[in-house]
Amino acid sequence: MTATGPRRGGQSETAGWADDPGISVERPATIWDAVPPISPRSEREAEFYSLEDGEMLLNLGPQHPSTHGVLRVVAKIRGETVVDLDPVIGYLHRGVEKICEQSDYHMCLSQVDPLDYISALHNEWAPVMAFEKLFDVRVPRRAEFIRVLVAELNRIYSHNLYMGWLALDIGGLTPVLYSFIERDEIVEMLAALTGQRILFNYFRVGGVNWDLNPEFLSRLADWMSHALAQVEANTTLINENEILVKRTKGLGVIDGKTALALNMTGPNLRATGVPFDVRRAHPFSIYPELEFDVPVREEGDTYARYLVRVDEIKQSIRIIDQVINEMPDGPVMAKMPWKITPRPGRAWAAIESPRGLYGCYAMSDGTNRPYRMRIHDPSFNNLQSLQPLSENVMIQDAIAVLASLDPVMGGVDK
Amino acid sequence: MPDLSRGPSTPSAAPPDSDAEPIVVPNDFWSSSNPAAYGGGRPPSITHLHELEADGIQGDNGRWGRLDVIPARSDILLDLLRVNSLWPLLSGLACCAIEMMSAATSVNDMDRFSMFPFRASPRQSDVLIVAGTLTTKMAGPLLRLWEEMPEPKWCVAMGDCTVSGGRYKRSYSVVQGIDRIMPVDVYVPGCPPRPEGLIYGMMKLQQLIVARRGRWAERAVGPRPPRKWDGMNESGGEPGHEPEWSPVSGGAR
Repeated sequence: MTATGPRRGGQSETAGWADDPGISVERPATIWDAVPPISPRSEREAEFYSLEDGEMLLNLGPQHPSTHGVLRVVAKIRGETVVDLDPVIGYLHRGVEKICEQSDYHMCLSQVDPLDYISALHNEWAPVMAFEKLFDVRVPRRAEFIRVLVAELNRIYSHNLYMGWLALDIGGLTPVLYSFIERDEIVEMLAALTGQRILFNYFRVGGVNWDLNPEFLSRLADWMSHALAQVEANTTLINENEILVKRTKGLGVIDGKTALALNMTGPNLRATGVPFDVRRAHPFSIYPELEFDVPVREEGDTYARYLVRVDEIKQSIRIIDQVINEMPDGPVMAKMPWKITPRPGRAWAAIESPRGLYGCYAMSDGTNRPYRMRIHDPSFNNLQSLQPLSENVMIQDAIAVLASLDPVMGGVDK
Repeated sequence: MPDLSRGPSTPSAAPPDSDAEPIVVPNDFWSSSNPAAYGGGRPPSITHLHELEADGIQGDNGRWGRLDVIPARSDILLDLLRVNSLWPLLSGLACCAIEMMSAATSVNDMDRFSMFPFRASPRQSDVLIVAGTLTTKMAGPLLRLWEEMPEPKWCVAMGDCTVSGGRYKRSYSVVQGIDRIMPVDVYVPGCPPRPEGLIYGMMKLQQLIVARRGRWAERAVGPRPPRKWDGMNESGGEPGHEPEWSPVSGGAR
């Protein structure tokens, strides 16, 4: 953290230790300073960086344990109250979309993995669906079941990590240890299937890479035998914890209209009473055949955002139970040519990732690589609401709001 | 059997390059019932570790002998302590950070191997684990973090992106290997490496610290040919030939 007084960057200043007036330090402004060393580029920026009496700027990040990656937040504070916030992003911009334009369709699927690195399978799912629309290929039914199965497992471990990190940012260390136990179980299970622990690279255009194997199934059965009990145990640790409830209830309240105007999706939107879930609103894959509820809360505060995710874990377990019971036989991969060149065209596909609507827009010009490919990541849109949500809250509560929005910087910056 | 009842000895044969007088700490606290145990047979004329090693008495006996004299060259001693409490910096950049956290939590417990708590402040940490893709925008802040860490410090490059650019070799915004901007002690490849891989890399770092005991300042920036004293790779250049390299920041030879 770097506290900066009311001054513009790029100018000389006298260091704090210089009681001797003869000593002054010429200090060039760096990007680390809260105040950017450039003249304001917009009215909003000019307004944000002009300080009134009693206000100061506080720089959080990009290296800060609570900012979930390399997000940098400049907070304008009065005392301990946050008056205004300015998130600075781009510290993890890796140019994935541009790399995808130079790769053929198979290679794209491995490149999109590390975008939203906690839900890699969902990252693959949207581009795969878009490419399948371009190629006009039908996915075998068993492959669709396997996709839903592994994607719901991925959703469970993502929400598990969310539970741990929210508690960690509020000051409780223990829940994150339980989260990682749960996460490691699921991830080892998926590694038995896909060969990787984070960036699974399992989906293919026209199906999935391999069929289910016995090790995966035995691990899955082992985990399913205690999954619900484990969720209950984890939630008893957090749900009625007095500190967590007092710090999160009524914090960062947003109503449904504002949330829709800010283009929030996913559990953050469902916590405001809007029952929008891509799996139900724009059904894809085999979700229309499955029974599950869309958990909705009306409060719209941080605690509701947490509870919605807990309910979603239970619904995902319910989905996995149905998928295992109804899994059909058959191939897991459609017959595809080795080198695939679709006709020119465009395709858009969207899925429900743990953070919301995750979409992919792909354009084909008739060659074996996409002409343009764009990813719509929900973390980016959810992060927009950080500023309205954390106005006039304490600094530590702004951190809790940020944790409850669950942005993943890999997805925000791409 | 030497005379153990004698008091602490004065340094008789201090080497010319010793930094200070030896610290003499008489052991008034305990003594073994068996005077020959715990390396108790060490001749009292030996006051420095290198004399001890030249004498042929090595291993735990030499290290955990009677605390009558602790040799000088404080780095040599302190590095042994540092090896057994490596404090990494809690700094995650991307995907590898999840595996780093997984290595630190219950299932793969890094604490067992004395890589102790993750510190949030660079002022208190020894090891910078660069976990994840380093972009050009993040390079400045990361370099600043590295410079804020007090010496002695070590750097572990975790993941293919930090080792060489990895899957972002064709990207316009990624630093193609962090050894272009800062020294690296241990490379842990993998995309991302498993937590066991990170723990193995950190144990390699512990070996390296022991091998370089007291000479931690001799660190080069960028990839360089292995040197003899690294102790981990004996296949260096020709004997007597020192490869040319340019120290960039504080890399005094």
